[in-house]
Amino acid sequence: MDQKKEYRVSRPISDTIFEIFVVVFLVLFVIITLYPVVNTVVLSFNDGIDAVRGGIYLWPRKFSMKNYKTVLAMQNIWTGAKVTVARTVIATLTSLFANALLAFVVSRKKFLFKSQLSLFWVITMYVNGGLIPVFLLYKNLGLTGTFHVYWIPGMISAFNMLVMRTYMEGIPESLEESAQLDGAGYFRVFKDIISPLCKPVYATIALFIAVWQWNSWFDAMIYNRMKTEYTTLQYELMKLLSSVMQQSGSAENAKNGANTITPITIRSAVTVVTMLPIVCLYPFLQRYFVTGLTIGGVKE
Amino acid sequence: MKVKKIAALLLSCAMMTSLLAGCGNTAGGGAADTGAADTAATADTAADTSADTGSDDAGSGEVTNFTMFITMPGSEINDDNEIAQMIADKWGVKVKETWLTGQTASEATGTLIAGGEYPDFIDSDEMNLLVDADALVPLDDYIDQYPEFRDTWFTPEEWDKFRQPDGHIYWINPFGNTMGETKQTTHNDEAFWIQVRVLEWANYPKIETMDQYFQLLEDYIAANPTMDDGTENMAYTILCEDWRYFCLENAGQFLAGYPNDGSVIVNKETMTIEDYNTSEDTKLYLKKLNEEYQKGFVDPESFTQTYDEYIAKLSTGRVLGMVDQWWDFAYTVNDSFKQSGLDLKGCNYVPLGLTTKPGMENRWHTYDDTVNQASGIAITTDCADPDKAFKFLVDCAMDQELHDLRFWGVQGVDYDVDADGLFYRTDEQRQNWADTSYQAAHRCQYTYFPQWHGTSRDGKNANKPEEQPSEFMNDMAEPLKNCFNAYGYTTYPQFIGSVVETNGPWFPMYSYSNNFTTETPGGVAWAKMGEVKHEWLPKVVMAKDFDKGYAEYMDAYNACKPEDFIAEMQAILDTFK
Amino acid sequence: MARKKTNEKVRTKITFKDIKKQGFLMVVSFFVVVYGIIFYYWPLTGWIMAFQNYKPKKGLLGSKFVGLDKFKFLFEDEVFIKVIRNTFAMGVINLVTTTIMAVLFAIILNEVRRAWIKKPIQTISYLPHFLSWIVVTSIIHVSLSPTGIVNDLLLRFGVIKQAINFFAFPKYFWPIVAFANCWKETGWNAIIYLAAITAIDPALYEAASIDGADRLQKIRYITFPGIKPTFLILLLMNVGNVLNAGFEVQYLLGNGLVQSVSQTIDIYVLKWGISQNDYSLGTAAGLFKSAVSIAIIVIANKLAKKYSDQRLF
Repeated sequence: MDQKKEYRVSRPISDTIFEIFVVVFLVLFVIITLYPVVNTVVLSFNDGIDAVRGGIYLWPRKFSMKNYKTVLAMQNIWTGAKVTVARTVIATLTSLFANALLAFVVSRKKFLFKSQLSLFWVITMYVNGGLIPVFLLYKNLGLTGTFHVYWIPGMISAFNMLVMRTYMEGIPESLEESAQLDGAGYFRVFKDIISPLCKPVYATIALFIAVWQWNSWFDAMIYNRMKTEYTTLQYELMKLLSSVMQQSGSAENAKNGANTITPITIRSAVTVVTMLPIVCLYPFLQRYFVTGLTIGGVKE
Repeated sequence: MKVKKIAALLLSCAMMTSLLAGCGNTAGGGAADTGAADTAATADTAADTSADTGSDDAGSGEVTNFTMFITMPGSEINDDNEIAQMIADKWGVKVKETWLTGQTASEATGTLIAGGEYPDFIDSDEMNLLVDADALVPLDDYIDQYPEFRDTWFTPEEWDKFRQPDGHIYWINPFGNTMGETKQTTHNDEAFWIQVRVLEWANYPKIETMDQYFQLLEDYIAANPTMDDGTENMAYTILCEDWRYFCLENAGQFLAGYPNDGSVIVNKETMTIEDYNTSEDTKLYLKKLNEEYQKGFVDPESFTQTYDEYIAKLSTGRVLGMVDQWWDFAYTVNDSFKQSGLDLKGCNYVPLGLTTKPGMENRWHTYDDTVNQASGIAITTDCADPDKAFKFLVDCAMDQELHDLRFWGVQGVDYDVDADGLFYRTDEQRQNWADTSYQAAHRCQYTYFPQWHGTSRDGKNANKPEEQPSEFMNDMAEPLKNCFNAYGYTTYPQFIGSVVETNGPWFPMYSYSNNFTTETPGGVAWAKMGEVKHEWLPKVVMAKDFDKGYAEYMDAYNACKPEDFIAEMQAILDTFK
Repeated sequence: MARKKTNEKVRTKITFKDIKKQGFLMVVSFFVVVYGIIFYYWPLTGWIMAFQNYKPKKGLLGSKFVGLDKFKFLFEDEVFIKVIRNTFAMGVINLVTTTIMAVLFAIILNEVRRAWIKKPIQTISYLPHFLSWIVVTSIIHVSLSPTGIVNDLLLRFGVIKQAINFFAFPKYFWPIVAFANCWKETGWNAIIYLAAITAIDPALYEAASIDGADRLQKIRYITFPGIKPTFLILLLMNVGNVLNAGFEVQYLLGNGLVQSVSQTIDIYVLKWGISQNDYSLGTAAGLFKSAVSIAIIVIANKLAKKYSDQRLF
């Protein structure tokens, strides 16, 4: 096709200016973004009473491991961790598959009910029956008080599905057509043609699902309050955060000393314990984002 | 390769955590061993000397596990909590308490009702919802089965306060009951607070009015603009965050000499409700604050600071005075002072019972018991053994040994007894008692079960360690002690000098207004008034032209139809005529 | 190198043969629809609460029917009208700023060549997403207080003569909320865009270099069009959520002085609905929000169909 021209030795000025801009922007961005995280970590290693005075920014003033001891000594935290890991793994796999399958169906240009099915799911993003009707539904389905309430509802989510659909629609039709000429049915196309090309979006959605599952505590509280064997890590940690954001505060109850504000240092330790596993998980998935994608062999 | 790295990271994390977890356990375990032996000895002697309380149950063996939900934040105790186990062994009952997390009380209660499953015990801020839902067991018959409890715990009038329209009693408030002689050493309520170093500097004067108070603060700042280390002193700050804005909002009722009815003033002679929001005293109070604000003596961050920031500010020791309630700041701030040494510099606070004019009576401090009829502990219809449940309730109130286990702990471990039979704590014991992990593993207070203030049945010790006079005095730093001595006081309430009197049976009125909902016009007005006050009170204090600002505030206030609210409160008061 | 922009509606011809092959698709659709009806549509029967005086004891069937009373209460309350305005304004401002920041960050980060710089930056960028709002708002609050670092810098550089208490003035509130959202969510929101960028064929960039394009031009002609589908779909989805502008941020950063601009629909519902045991009011407000959201996305979808090749349905 094109002859290989000689590359110019010097880059255009605009590129250099651009580079400088990139560097400055990223440096500022990193500083501003990193500060709250550093501050939280620092606070988590600081003594609780000392931290009350404020004024701790980048370095602990009175070092203490006590906060972590308190957090990790919580009796149900290991049960919670096990349940959370289980639900994260199970839900990520099942939900990823379900959403991907649906996204595939809805992305097929020739599908009869393409737009109706999309509409059906888009609406679900904006309507909600409310806490009590949902609770009653789960109760009637026998999901409350079990582990299954964590992964069965919410297995299909319109948002995740639409992101995947958009991605799949970007894959040239010609691939699908040539596979079908070879006699492949839709399931084969999904399995062998589309999915391998969807690694970046699969990784993205898997990350979203995993993080959501990891951070869930509200469902554990509402549906499994009395079942400590199904508690989640986040729920146990949330109990420690009995705290500042008290919408139903009242002076009389607070007066009776039964009200204790969790020190900010314990809150910080809780945050770090939550963050850590995800930060460890991400590098695994990152390689799916960084490697480029070559839709080899087919040019429009 | 990556897998190896992750595995290494996880392994080191696991090792670290098991190390830390291990440390916690051994400490608790050791203490429990020595403690158990001692408790056995004291338990026997206590059992011999105790009167009729249900301790004949001891040794019957069957432990019933109950569940309880409380719509307040709190910490769960471990399932193998030591004292909980001791209580279970002796009184046959173990209660698993769960607390409010990440929801409001209304939402939590509503969800419980919708789901139709209840814990055995419950204490909710929305008892009415539960009664409506037929979720609670009427307690009248049970109460009558225990005449000594019935007669000791409440008077017949007080019991009647809990009677619902259908004539039954469904819950019992566990707090606010004093046994015998009151040992009240702290003022656990609202006041104008002032640092002892200010009083010391002025040679311990008598401060009775707002004008004298602010004058003293101004003079002190003029003479001492900074602390030793150069931090600027701040005369006065105000906390207005969310529901804590009582620091700004209701001082008016006290300044007029009335007690803490919270949302209104009750004129005892005429038995009418008066609105303190529009009273002269409140206007003078706001005007005074406005003056001081314009002069620069009131913290400009007052109206935007969060609770955390407020506590941080107090903990630096630079704030000379504020209006607040003891429980809102004292525990955290005093701990901080102790640790940073600021208590030795005279930064501790003492209360003052100010009034608008000198020589007025004040009722900042309430000497008798406050019975809050709005909520309390109840037994639900899902409870399989209400007899045993109620019996345990009674035990909590009537059994001194159980009470001591809950609030003092295990003798020899959490407190010791001196030669005169008085309980006391060493520093280490105090620190342990306040430590979160220790609490989860060892301390079991059953905080929402009946409990007493005042004097123990042994006639000597306080029912609650915070009220033990010896503990109280020992704990004090020099400057604070000097302050007490200079005035000749031995307790905080004496600083306030409130009138000692019994409050009317309607007291406190806030227990009624707290239950108002938007179903009634009074409730709607009350909610709207709250919003208006949140927005306008700061504006009035900051206004350059006070009269104009106050007039605008009044316009907005009156648009809420406060008369509806007053009328509804009056209707309630009328039932006491 | 040029990409075809197709604005014409290309109707795909569906033949009977195609339909016969779609057995698999139909089966999947069936199960998925059943699932959707059970878990998403059936609870909507709870909307009847908005027309009742719901009492938990009486349940959905037993509570008294009051028609449009709850809606009347909402719309006759001028505070609620203000609250709608606040929510809408914050929703739009947040949408615009967070989308711009996320795209900007993704594109700029993509320009970093060396993986050993790029990866750590990306990891750092999404960390604030995991901090709770309580933590983030307390940091923002301290930083913007009269004694905080922002005022410190502004005074030092002579931009202002006296410290400003940013939380005391309503005019600063909405920008502060937008900033808070950007700070916390930019890195996380950029993940999707970064994934989309990796799907762009690197051969396009190489060809562009050969043709003499500089970095800016490459971004303009290759990267932007490459993420356009993702950008549009996300925009479409988020525009429907503009009334869900939030609760926590505004609740935590608000105070009495700015409450006329800080209260959102969710905060209002909490105050006047749940806290008053009035679940019906909460449901009515939720119904209102859903109705507005659906109306918005129907319009947005029509516009998208007309002017681009992306649509929600």
